[in-house]
Amino acid sequence: MSLTIEQVEKFKKEVAVLCCRLKEGSIIDESHLEDPTILPELVDSGLLTIPKNCARIGQVIGAKLLKTLDALTPISSDVVEGIKEMDLSNEGITEDEIFDLDQKAVLKYNMKFGDVIKASDLENPMNFEKMEDSLLIKLSEKVLTRGEVIGKKLNKDTVALTPILPEMIEGYKATEKLETTPMDTNNGSILKIKIAEGKGIDIEIPMGGYIGHASTIINKEKMAEKPVEIPPKEIRRLTKKYFEIHNVIFGKETKIEGKTLYIRENIGEDALKVDKLVKEIKVDIIGPDRYKEYSETIMDVQPIATKEEGDKLGTGTTRVLDGVIMIVTGTDENGVQIGEFGSSEGILEENVMWGRPGAPDKGEILIKTEVVIKEHTNMERPGPLAAHKATDFITSEIREALKKLDEKLVSREEEFIQLRRPGKKKIVIVKEIMGQGAMHDNLILPIEPVGVIGGKPNVDLGNLPIVLSPLEILDGSIHALTCIGPASKECSRHYFREPLIIEALKDEEIDLCGVILVGSPQINSEKFYVSERVGMTVEAMDVDGAVVTTEGFGNNHIDFASHIEQIGMRDISVVGASFCAVQGALVVGNKYMTNMIDLNKTEEGIENEVLACNTLTGEDGLRILAMLKAIMNGEEVLAPERKWNPEVKENNLRLIGKN
Amino acid sequence: MKYIDQVRYLEGIIVEISDGAVSIDFKGRMGFLKIPMRMLITDYPLEIGQEVCLNMSYVEVVSPIPNGKYISNLDKKEVE
Repeated sequence: MSLTIEQVEKFKKEVAVLCCRLKEGSIIDESHLEDPTILPELVDSGLLTIPKNCARIGQVIGAKLLKTLDALTPISSDVVEGIKEMDLSNEGITEDEIFDLDQKAVLKYNMKFGDVIKASDLENPMNFEKMEDSLLIKLSEKVLTRGEVIGKKLNKDTVALTPILPEMIEGYKATEKLETTPMDTNNGSILKIKIAEGKGIDIEIPMGGYIGHASTIINKEKMAEKPVEIPPKEIRRLTKKYFEIHNVIFGKETKIEGKTLYIRENIGEDALKVDKLVKEIKVDIIGPDRYKEYSETIMDVQPIATKEEGDKLGTGTTRVLDGVIMIVTGTDENGVQIGEFGSSEGILEENVMWGRPGAPDKGEILIKTEVVIKEHTNMERPGPLAAHKATDFITSEIREALKKLDEKLVSREEEFIQLRRPGKKKIVIVKEIMGQGAMHDNLILPIEPVGVIGGKPNVDLGNLPIVLSPLEILDGSIHALTCIGPASKECSRHYFREPLIIEALKDEEIDLCGVILVGSPQINSEKFYVSERVGMTVEAMDVDGAVVTTEGFGNNHIDFASHIEQIGMRDISVVGASFCAVQGALVVGNKYMTNMIDLNKTEEGIENEVLACNTLTGEDGLRILAMLKAIMNGEEVLAPERKWNPEVKENNLRLIGKN
Repeated sequence: MKYIDQVRYLEGIIVEISDGAVSIDFKGRMGFLKIPMRMLITDYPLEIGQEVCLNMSYVEVVSPIPNGKYISNLDKKEVE
């Protein structure tokens, strides 16, 4: 495939290879050259060998070919006439090679607004004398030194051979005296102050009386880049009050006494009645001493939480039991696991990544339901939902007991405050949730945290984007029926402790305006339908940046890519986060998918059977936000290596740690 | 993997559709495949009899020793 003129500029230092047969005597232009991004593939497969003396794209444009060459032939420097000189020495320049820091800074190339100046972008000081002689440049006192400009950002488009002045640099801190003309008083009534340049200047003038000899104090410290700070505004807050439980036992009725939770012995019999597809239900209490036992595949992990009287999800107070959680497991009457594919049945201890946001924490007591549903319904929509409804019947009874508890028993509190931070970069988090049907569904906004009643399945809502507050998500507004892959699925508890949202709420450099949930339908046309709505919703929000996350891999990567495209084409900085690595490598891509975070945690880069192994963690949240902030500030994210390399993540974490 | 992972083209027919999965018979009696919905890419509403295609390689046995963990899971299933 041939190149365009824009690509020639971009790839000027890449090797030049013909994309078509070209006759002797032809003048080489962009239409004759192969896209360099596909060359490594050809080299690997042995179809192409690049000679050492291969010319670069920037060198051969306009040059004359001296002999007829076939397609996919590298152009070596000896078969062209009129090759251009090109300085390739700055490839791979490192900080150690920066020299002459006290010499004046003169741009070597045309640069754009927002570009960060590197040592390689500056003219070598040894040429200055010649350039000044030939009147190409004029180096005045005001021109900054190389040391002062390297790493700084330009605040306007600037042409080559321009000496860099302070006003060309974004947020340059003025160190020289500002030129202010003396005050003029005219008849004691008009005060004229003329300031040649500068911003954020504090001028204090005593009011009243004769102004003639008033003094002017210019606070030089405040000269640079300090816009007026607008204080953050609180939108709403959510308090989670935790009640510690040390013991769970069966009893005559469901109640909580001190730190002991009693569960009604015959509760299973009533739970059976909630749905006719439920054939049997077994409730088991698993303390840390029984972690070594076999368990059916874990469908979901849920917190036991309830709202205090009159409070809605996402605001007010939520009571949460500490030290005990609900686990939904199940099979159909034939013993087929409800999460039939990639299920996590086996020894509990080995099949759980303990401590992940969506998984149990070590030491917790698990109230595990084993729901048996009608045969062959495990892959139909009502089947998995029935198992969740039966489990929620039990959770509801515990919630009632939790509501009655005395306030004095609260062992700890957690406060989440949703702040809007005016003046900071505004961002939105787009969470793609599964919506292909069966267990690929989520109940949105039930009345109780991670409840069933009141929740609307996103499949029934057409998988369209819905805006929620970050606190609604953290308060259990998603009851996940959870998809198939145990390692990458986001259980209900994951949303209750969503690490990206928690990190984004804490981050004082950004203004998180909301969370968009969008379902992933099965058919491509539906995927693009919802994706376009995501684009429009984000456009209307006027954000500076967006994060798109998805759960697991498969055809959901098609809409994941489309969401990123829809946001990127609106000139909004966008970061994508997904499990990819080896097995979940993306099936589609577009030009906006340059800033990606891989959530893989396995050594082999695959989806394993360990629950929540490859889900988003707090550390991933930090990587995502660091990348988003970098691209919102105009930095470029390097292209990935051709094959998955776990080192990339480690290096990025080290970089974040340094900052 | 010991053998080249070069993929080859295969075709099949959708023989069963549920809310969560599709079953596929490979043409020429080359096997049967049941996959979760999420692993199927389609531009069209699904119907039995639709033809599908994919690239895949041969299946290779990793080790001569069966994995005890999976044996015990299978035994458990048989008991049920």
